[in-house]
Amino acid sequence: MSVLSTVLIFVIIPLAAVLIISALAMAGSDRKQRSRRYRPGRPYDFQPIWFLAAPEQVNAGPDRTGPDRRALHRHEPHAIEGPVIEDSSGAPVLPGPTGGASDRW
Amino acid sequence: MTAGEIREHTSEQPLTALDAPGGETISAEPEQVTSDAGVAALNGPFTTRQLLRLDEALRMADEQTGLAFSVYLGDLEEPVRQHAEKLHKQLEGSELAVLIAVSPNQRVLEIVTGNEARKRISDRDAKLAALSMAAAFAGGDLAGGVLSGLDQLASHAGRS
Repeated sequence: MSVLSTVLIFVIIPLAAVLIISALAMAGSDRKQRSRRYRPGRPYDFQPIWFLAAPEQVNAGPDRTGPDRRALHRHEPHAIEGPVIEDSSGAPVLPGPTGGASDRW
Repeated sequence: MTAGEIREHTSEQPLTALDAPGGETISAEPEQVTSDAGVAALNGPFTTRQLLRLDEALRMADEQTGLAFSVYLGDLEEPVRQHAEKLHKQLEGSELAVLIAVSPNQRVLEIVTGNEARKRISDRDAKLAALSMAAAFAGGDLAGGVLSGLDQLASHAGRS
């Protein structure tokens, strides 16, 4: 076994295999997809978003600092119509109290 | 107009996204045929498949219970509970509405039920759903947590 064939078998071929496999691994990992996933403790920097079965259900209230209004179809006629009782600050008031729950993680 | 005559489209709305020749195809640039809300959703934390499942879950929950479920995902101002209730008040027919507000940055979630919805979903039931949602969120599963929360709330509310 000449020195050349020894080098070829024990150095060049393993190196080539390592390079090919690592190149495939790098190509296969979808980094963009992974970075969009939420992980606790990592910053979450997406636009606020509001999911509804029917987007016209949202009134454009006096609160302009809420989620992106375009996403809420604020030009729907419902945003203007509808009897709304308002308090002194202009916020709509419900006749009764609301219930629900809170949690942290 | 005779057959074969070529007419310019004068309306604002293009017939297809390919009306301007040489542009990107719809599959390459789905934003062309998606509404603003849709684009905002696509740029969010969910994959298309998760968005479809969420949409389906919201519609099923609404249909079965007669309540109006909605999910808000984003930062809430302090005090968090008051802000969630303010968002809930913006909903049309808010006494029948159930809002799930999730703030991943603050790691807090609020479930707000309206006056009527509260009779169907007791605060205890809401707390139970909140617990399972928080468990899923702590594991990094936003979509799964929202879906399981919706499922629990809808099944507690029962059929209308």
